[in-house]
Amino acid sequence: MSDHPTDFAGDVCAAIRDAIKAKIPGARVEVTGGGGHYAIDVASAEFTGKTMLASQRIVYGAITHLMSGERAPVHAVDRLTTKAQ
Amino acid sequence: MALSEQQRAEFEKRVRASEVVLFMKGNRRFPQCGFSATVVGILDKLGASYETVNILENQAIRDGMKEYSSWPTFPQLYVGGEFVGGCDIVKDMYSSGDLQRKLGAEARPVQAPRITISVAAATALKEAASGAAGDVLRLEIDPEYNADLHIAPRADGDIEVRSEGVALYVAGASSERADGIKIDFVNVPGGMAFKIDNPNEPPRVKPIHAPALKAMLDAGGIELFDVRPEDERKIASIAHAKPLDGEGQMLLSTLDKNKAIALHCHHGMRSRAAGEQLLRAGFTNVYNLEGGIEAWSRDVDPSVSRY
Repeated sequence: MSDHPTDFAGDVCAAIRDAIKAKIPGARVEVTGGGGHYAIDVASAEFTGKTMLASQRIVYGAITHLMSGERAPVHAVDRLTTKAQ
Repeated sequence: MALSEQQRAEFEKRVRASEVVLFMKGNRRFPQCGFSATVVGILDKLGASYETVNILENQAIRDGMKEYSSWPTFPQLYVGGEFVGGCDIVKDMYSSGDLQRKLGAEARPVQAPRITISVAAATALKEAASGAAGDVLRLEIDPEYNADLHIAPRADGDIEVRSEGVALYVAGASSERADGIKIDFVNVPGGMAFKIDNPNEPPRVKPIHAPALKAMLDAGGIELFDVRPEDERKIASIAHAKPLDGEGQMLLSTLDKNKAIALHCHHGMRSRAAGEQLLRAGFTNVYNLEGGIEAWSRDVDPSVSRY
């Protein structure tokens, strides 16, 4: 796990999960990682009929606040999957 | 950060600067992140012509593009002014063929590269290929311009090229990078080897040995810089070398980008890294003193102390 300076206090994985669930109610969200790098898997009916671009945009939109600035808790999303269900 | 109308118009211009624009970390030749490198690799494989914007060099573009694309990460690929996606999406579209359709890559006819094989190389290649039942001589030039000459089954998209009676199969995606290549068979320490000269190859840091550098310095036309810090320079230094301190950097910035520049350090490692940086900065004719000042002392001027 790389060292990544951040002002964020608390569980980043939980913060990512909560932010996505708030934006996409009922979504199944799995977040793993640490040190600024995270992998996110989301499954929701919301993605049905949407392109990968549109689906990923929804997720990124939900966590933008965790990714902005030099000292953001989320430095990179190493993997993002969106599954329609 | 919300973008004003005017800022939006500016970014619109940026994403339309050419048909395909990639906003990335680093540039095409030196991507500075794995995701950016992956997308560059895919675009190069498709032989697409594209422009890159290094977002690490401009914080305003970096922040603005996140907002403009509603996408918080890089790279970001634009085709015809339309946001295509990041690394995952580009990879996905590449494997499904959607990216090829979008870029019109399939429609572009692939030109056969011009390749020259020397008589010696032809003899050696024929001999090497004679034992390979069903396989062919293949040449692939990867996006980093590494040449791979090998014997393997013919692959889809291979282009047959003939020179000196040798049939060579060039991987289709390599054809542009392979155009103008010369293949020779030469003496190297320990035997004979194929030598591939590729005129398309981007400039690299050229290794130079101390006596050859001495000859170039004597002839003039080359500038030698010492990349070591002051404490090491005090112990030993080469008379012609200018330190790459503030003043040296100033001098460097005034030099023509095609001017021959040599770099040295203690053993040749730090100066090699510094040379790569000069290439990134646009210099094209960069030499690294192999073995550093140590080799200089041993092979050219024993009065330079070793440490």
